Amino acid sequence: MNGALVLTELGWVIAAAALALLVGRLIRLPPVLMWVGAGLLLGPVTGILHASDSLHLMSELGIALLLFLVGLELSPATLRDVGRPAAVVGGLQVLGTALLGYAAGAFFGLPVPEALMIAAAVTFSSTVVVVKLLDRAGALTTEYGRLSIGILLVQDVVVALVLTLMAGLSGGGMDAEALAGGLTRAFVGLAILSAVAVLAGRWILPGAADWMATSTEGLLVASLAWCLLFIVGAEALSLSVELGAFLAGLALAPTRVHGELRRRVRPLADLFLAVFFVVLGAELMPGAAFERPFLLAAVVALSFALKPILVALLARGPGGRSWRTSVLAGLSLGQMSEFSFILAAAAAEAGLVTPEILSLVGVAGLTTIAGSAIVIPGIERGWARWGAARFGEPDGDEHPHPPGGHIVVVGMNSLGRRLVEAFVESGERVVAVDSDPAKLAPVSVPTIQGVIDHRDVLDEAGVPNARLVVSALRIEDANSLLAWRCRRMGVPVSIHVFDASVRADLEALGVAHLMDSKRAATHRLRVALTELEVLD
Amino acid sequence: MEVLAILLVAAAASHALARALNLPPVPLLLATGFLLGVGGLDAGVIVQDALVLGVTVLVFISGIELDPRRPQAQLRTAVKVGSGQFLVLAGLGVATATVIGYGIVPAAYLGLAIAASSTLVVVRILQRRGEMFEPYGRLTIGVLLVQDLILVLSIPLVESVGGDFSDVFPRLLVTGIAVAVAIGVVRPLAPVLLKVEDDGEALLLVTLLVLVAFLAGSAWLGLPLLVGGFLAGLALARFPVASAVRPLMAPLGDFFTALFFTALGALVGVPTLGEIGHALAFTALLLVATPIVVAVLGERAGLPARAAVEAGLLLAQASELSLVVGLLGLERGALDESAFTVIALVTAMTMLLTPLIATDAVTRRLLRIHPGTARRSKGPPPSGHVLLLGAGSTGMPLVETLIEAGQEVVVVDDDPKVLARVAKAGGRLVRGEASDPRTLERAGVADAIVVISTLRRGADNARVLEAAGDVPVLVRVFEEDEARRLQSLGAIPILTSDAAAEMLIEWFELGTPA
Repeated sequence: MNGALVLTELGWVIAAAALALLVGRLIRLPPVLMWVGAGLLLGPVTGILHASDSLHLMSELGIALLLFLVGLELSPATLRDVGRPAAVVGGLQVLGTALLGYAAGAFFGLPVPEALMIAAAVTFSSTVVVVKLLDRAGALTTEYGRLSIGILLVQDVVVALVLTLMAGLSGGGMDAEALAGGLTRAFVGLAILSAVAVLAGRWILPGAADWMATSTEGLLVASLAWCLLFIVGAEALSLSVELGAFLAGLALAPTRVHGELRRRVRPLADLFLAVFFVVLGAELMPGAAFERPFLLAAVVALSFALKPILVALLARGPGGRSWRTSVLAGLSLGQMSEFSFILAAAAAEAGLVTPEILSLVGVAGLTTIAGSAIVIPGIERGWARWGAARFGEPDGDEHPHPPGGHIVVVGMNSLGRRLVEAFVESGERVVAVDSDPAKLAPVSVPTIQGVIDHRDVLDEAGVPNARLVVSALRIEDANSLLAWRCRRMGVPVSIHVFDASVRADLEALGVAHLMDSKRAATHRLRVALTELEVLD
Repeated sequence: MEVLAILLVAAAASHALARALNLPPVPLLLATGFLLGVGGLDAGVIVQDALVLGVTVLVFISGIELDPRRPQAQLRTAVKVGSGQFLVLAGLGVATATVIGYGIVPAAYLGLAIAASSTLVVVRILQRRGEMFEPYGRLTIGVLLVQDLILVLSIPLVESVGGDFSDVFPRLLVTGIAVAVAIGVVRPLAPVLLKVEDDGEALLLVTLLVLVAFLAGSAWLGLPLLVGGFLAGLALARFPVASAVRPLMAPLGDFFTALFFTALGALVGVPTLGEIGHALAFTALLLVATPIVVAVLGERAGLPARAAVEAGLLLAQASELSLVVGLLGLERGALDESAFTVIALVTAMTMLLTPLIATDAVTRRLLRIHPGTARRSKGPPPSGHVLLLGAGSTGMPLVETLIEAGQEVVVVDDDPKVLARVAKAGGRLVRGEASDPRTLERAGVADAIVVISTLRRGADNARVLEAAGDVPVLVRVFEEDEARRLQSLGAIPILTSDAAAEMLIEWFELGTPA
């Protein structure tokens, strides 16, 4: 086991990613940018990292899990809501940017294949980058966030078609029949996968997930297996990994455990995505890109500036969205896709484009991704400051702030249920939390399904601005951690002392009130003994 | 992607099977992996890498669990029982292996492989039963922690068995230094991690950075990487860091260990009859020796008979780390494939047997033949008394009240400390396991004016109700469903959850935190 290559590589990547992230926190730069930068350091600059198959597999898994998460978060209702405008805007945008890109290539005197390459490069935006950045800004479920993702998925379908075309081109000449066959296969594949996802999501998965949910690691492993089956299926049907993973997540979205699943998949996705971005930076070959500075500038301008404008106009016009949604969606999509690198590398290998163009696509891609990493986190604030007045729209903040002042009750056992009843009776607003969806089902107040150890669950339940947090749980670790976090947030907390042995730790953590169920029962025992005339 | 998909689908199937049959998943993961191997799964780079990453994550997570707070008051007992069990079983294992005909080096690995018990299996059972915080639960957890520590730290030593013994002391020294570093950085590391605690992504990466640093350090010191991974976990094993990190590491653990056990299963060859025979011998040794050793050591350290027997039964299996030891031996060339197969078989078999052995029925049967439980009381059993079953910290005030009220109080408990307190207060004592009908008879259960049960388990209370006949029985109970069930059996339930809720509401309405 010593000297295993994968550990050394992954070790470098993780060390670089963690340090880059910490530095990024200090100088207030987004992790994505820092990771790509760290990758540049490890790859082209020092030559330490040569990513192996396993590392590439992890990168790919990172992208897949991210899209899996996106699918998990979408309900069928929002999908219907955003589907049509996304298709229209996405379709027209792909057409528009492709034409502009080709024209630019022709203007700079590139031969047809290279001009086509430029067209592809500026057309597609990066699903990973956009979703990651929107997610970090907490904007995935906003209207512009959903529209952006819709457009990205439309682009992904087009990517699948382009890959089919590429296969035809590099396979030595265009056979119209083979091409038509490839296209049909992609469309039929999409239809099959979607049908499987929808049918399973409706009929099989909700029951299966509930059944599996009592085994937490089993649920995670089974869901990941489900996701990978879709990815392998998508690859077999010449669709992208992203589409497959997205559909797999979509199928699991109607289950009751989708929230908990999301929280469990997230750490894996985070790790593998960090790998993805570092490897992305490490594999760049800057060299020849700067030999054609004007072409480089044009490509960057097309994807970073013109594409957002085009998307905004299309979303506002044919899409019929508000200016805010249109502009923010446009700005979100202002970068090139990592897919362009793969495409350019394949084309260079097939001798269709020169190494110069490959390097140019890489540099332009990283520049636009870095640009997005800086722009996207600030677009909402930017709109509130400059856009709202200019476009004559009030600034509609889409993040609902929980009102606060409520009581959070964790653990729906007999004690938790009794407490919820009592608080509701005395007119308090209550949020109930439990990891078991079956225990939450009969509760009449708003509920959060999840394990309280996850920081996200605390935030979703509005713990930071709660009036009181109560844990009825009989799980020592969870209770101690909750008490510690509440003290840090300055929120009063009451914890269930289910056994004398847990008392001292909780007292040391400064818990406001200890619910000692056994001690409390002593009084009732006395009353019962009096009724039996054992005591007077 | 295809290989990964195959491994994961196999792992998912094992988990589903484990869920359906209520068995621990590890042996089933090994079994499906084995079937994949027989079916011709290509043990290529991806599978190799899955093994390496799986081992690293597995030992790292085991290390994070090593928080001395967890066993609490049972820590001293746990150290005695844990190290005792480890040494006795390792010794017996080496002896058995030598008798069967293994050389000294494979015998050392085999001994190590059966010496420790499985955290993954035991903690799952304790959690499911809700008995993590019972004294025997805390003891068992403590024992597991102690054993993991001893096991991982003895790996560098075993590597020198059969070779040149001159490097034993340098190795010991280096290992000691590494442990000291791990414990030394706990304190300075905590604030760094807690600073990013609100950002899951940052906390995850910084946690993994600690792991990477320790792996690099152990490589530099020439220690096995899995020692480095384990010590990295040890450096984080303190509240609240460990608690905040655990939910982030758990999915990584679930993912990588599922891959690890499946991939490992694929390495196991089809066992010969001889190998199966050897595996059966070690399995029998584990099943017989562990409960005896743990029970004897536990009771010597002051544990009640039932707790000691329960802990012993629960600990009678090989550890997931046994597989790591086996894999290490295989890679170092110290074990041949046959010995590795034996280790895998023993681990799988003993893990599968644990849910069948660690049951109430087996415990009762053993307690019946236990030489210490057939106690006799002097004189006839009491009558007209108040019988209190179990008098922990909350029971004492009640004992005093009852005695003040002029009642004769008889207390049944198996904890000498509790009994001493009761004697001081003037109560009469019956030492023994309160759910044992023989003990209840000695305590005059049928002639009491009232029985008060603080026993936690439903099955125990049902037995008490049966023995009590027409005598009113007050039972302290937490869940409403359980209260209803006991009521239908004739008990008068005292609902602790309701009482606690009432107290909280009272406090809330008085103090009303703003």
